[in-house]
Amino acid sequence: MDHLTKLENKSIYIIREAYNRFKNIAMLWSVGKDSTTLLWLCRKAFFGHIPFPIIHIDTSYKFPEMYRFRDDRVKEWNLNLLIGRNEEKLDQGMGPGQGSKLDCCNELKTNALKRVIQKYRLTAILLGIRRDEHGIRAKERYFSPRDSQFKWDYENQPAELWDQYQSMVEEEEHFRIHPILHFTELDVWSYVKREGLPIVPLYFSKNGKRFRSIGCAPCCSPIDSNAQTIDDIVEEIRTTKTSERSGRAQDKENIYTMQKLRALGYM
Amino acid sequence: MIIGLDGVPHSLLRAYIENGLMPNLKHILSQGFVLHRMDASVPDVSSVSWTSFNTGVNPGEHGIYGFTDLKPKTYSLYFPNSTDIQAPTIWETLGKTGQKSSTLFQKYHQKVKRPCRSIILNVPHTYPALPMNGILVSGFVAIDLKKATFPESVYPYLQSIDYLIDVEAEKAKQNKGAFMESLFECFEIRKKAISHFLTEESWDLFFACITETDRLHHFFFDASTDKDNPYHESFIRFYTELDKFIKILYDGFCEISHEKGFFMILSDHGFAPIKQEVYINPFLKEKGFLALKEEGEFYEKIGEETRAFNLDPCRVYIHDKDAYPRGKVSMEEKPEVLRKVREALTTLTGENGEKVIDRIYPKEEIYQGPQTRGAPDLVCLPNDGYDLKGSLEKKKVFGRSQFAGMHTWHDAFCVLSPSIPLAEKPSIENMAEHIIKYFTQ
Repeated sequence: MDHLTKLENKSIYIIREAYNRFKNIAMLWSVGKDSTTLLWLCRKAFFGHIPFPIIHIDTSYKFPEMYRFRDDRVKEWNLNLLIGRNEEKLDQGMGPGQGSKLDCCNELKTNALKRVIQKYRLTAILLGIRRDEHGIRAKERYFSPRDSQFKWDYENQPAELWDQYQSMVEEEEHFRIHPILHFTELDVWSYVKREGLPIVPLYFSKNGKRFRSIGCAPCCSPIDSNAQTIDDIVEEIRTTKTSERSGRAQDKENIYTMQKLRALGYM
Repeated sequence: MIIGLDGVPHSLLRAYIENGLMPNLKHILSQGFVLHRMDASVPDVSSVSWTSFNTGVNPGEHGIYGFTDLKPKTYSLYFPNSTDIQAPTIWETLGKTGQKSSTLFQKYHQKVKRPCRSIILNVPHTYPALPMNGILVSGFVAIDLKKATFPESVYPYLQSIDYLIDVEAEKAKQNKGAFMESLFECFEIRKKAISHFLTEESWDLFFACITETDRLHHFFFDASTDKDNPYHESFIRFYTELDKFIKILYDGFCEISHEKGFFMILSDHGFAPIKQEVYINPFLKEKGFLALKEEGEFYEKIGEETRAFNLDPCRVYIHDKDAYPRGKVSMEEKPEVLRKVREALTTLTGENGEKVIDRIYPKEEIYQGPQTRGAPDLVCLPNDGYDLKGSLEKKKVFGRSQFAGMHTWHDAFCVLSPSIPLAEKPSIENMAEHIIKYFTQ
């Protein structure tokens, strides 16, 4: 069995396992390459029709290309899409220009997601995070419990050996399930190519620049690149030395440092 | 042995010793130690002051000027950490593990006969923990305990006692009483960890910092002498607990060194009550030196018309053409802009016509070394009571917040043996040399 098929099988096994264990499950779709890959795997796992809702957390600051892509796929793949927005804060004008980026992310992403989880009483969410994405994710498990405050106690999680996933959930908790945790950035692109997956055009080079990671328009900057096809991207990633999220404003450790400095009045 | 007491002022310590609140420290002083008043680094923030102490050199050599710094090319803010320090620390020099060099290092490294083992606990600005000869647990601003620990084998112990790197200062905003409680809890854990390493490990240099004092002062300094303040009793209780712990450490030191070793207690800056917070950027804006754009975060907002801007607490940078993409100030114009900014800053007056700024230093006057390129063009020290801040978001020049105390430059302290020759008013930068000298005698 080739490498990509192995990765795919493992992911599909986890998706089916999760669906089997949790009644109120949903998948979080950011419209980026990773969660679109996960969406594709979910479709494969259930032969084209996904039996649970897909959540898009809409900060209202996403690129227009992303909204277009989302709506096209919903129609084409017949998805049950739930949109999570923190209307209250958006009405108050929350945005990256108002307050800090940290507050903006916290309100428009984290709190919006909290509301969706409460509203639909979700006990599990599938997410497209990958282990190689960021240092803080290196300790993630496939089945990762969170408490009602979204806190992740990474020092207290069950071992995952021989595909024996710990998937019991306590009250007030929900599980985060990461079916593509074992994919690397390169794997994702190789898989996108093999499967002929549609992808948001922002990833391809325009005027010498392309986005390597996408999110909200004000907080993402493109990298210098001439990669116009998926083959070009694969080649670029194979040889690059900069990190995938270098174009992203947010970095967890910096955010915490900022919080701590602020609390003592140093910023 | 070195005991660091973050943010403890000489004046307060002297008063508490005289009032009989710190009998153990008084006893230590009677054993032949002297309490000196000491100058902190400029600026007087912990990251700079402790780094100056740890390396024994000037910021112009070690390269740390604050908790925050700017990348000139993109105007983006970053947080310097231990990997940005350009000079070796005492423990790197004594442990013979460092690869860096400094004027102090060159003077002494050949005289260090054998590699010394150090235990360095909770010293600010040592995160992430870099490999060294001994054990290091980083202090503020450490984020991830695992990355704050060297060697990794120490981590399970810290985890087992639920070690805390710092109190949650966020708490103080919502509930001051609960925050006071958590200061004591955090101090307990700190004492436990420090005592553990003191007795369970062998060492040549033992250096532990208590940082709860600084947090206590930030939020409760008004309670230090005011008997009617609701937190006065807790404030005093903290100092008596601290006094007891100093005795435990001193006894441990005497037992191991048979009173022949080197013993020192010091703080990295003083503290004073706040009258007003002073936001330098809105002031520069008012005076026409600073123009901000709508877009961008923090200093990315700096517009083309900006001639000068400030980083916390009062580090003024000229927006010059050569260093910054949007800078318009040429080399020829720079001295004139500097003069005007200086002039404006000296006119800054507080509540009752009091002068806010006490001293203004041009960088050439206070910083020497290869890292002066990143140094601020001007650094100001305020008169006590005026807490200078770097905030870009404030609209007004003056304000107040939940903070009760501010750092002072002139009122740090050190306790040392009288056999150590000191200047009339020593500076924290010059202390490391005495420690290294002790090991090379």
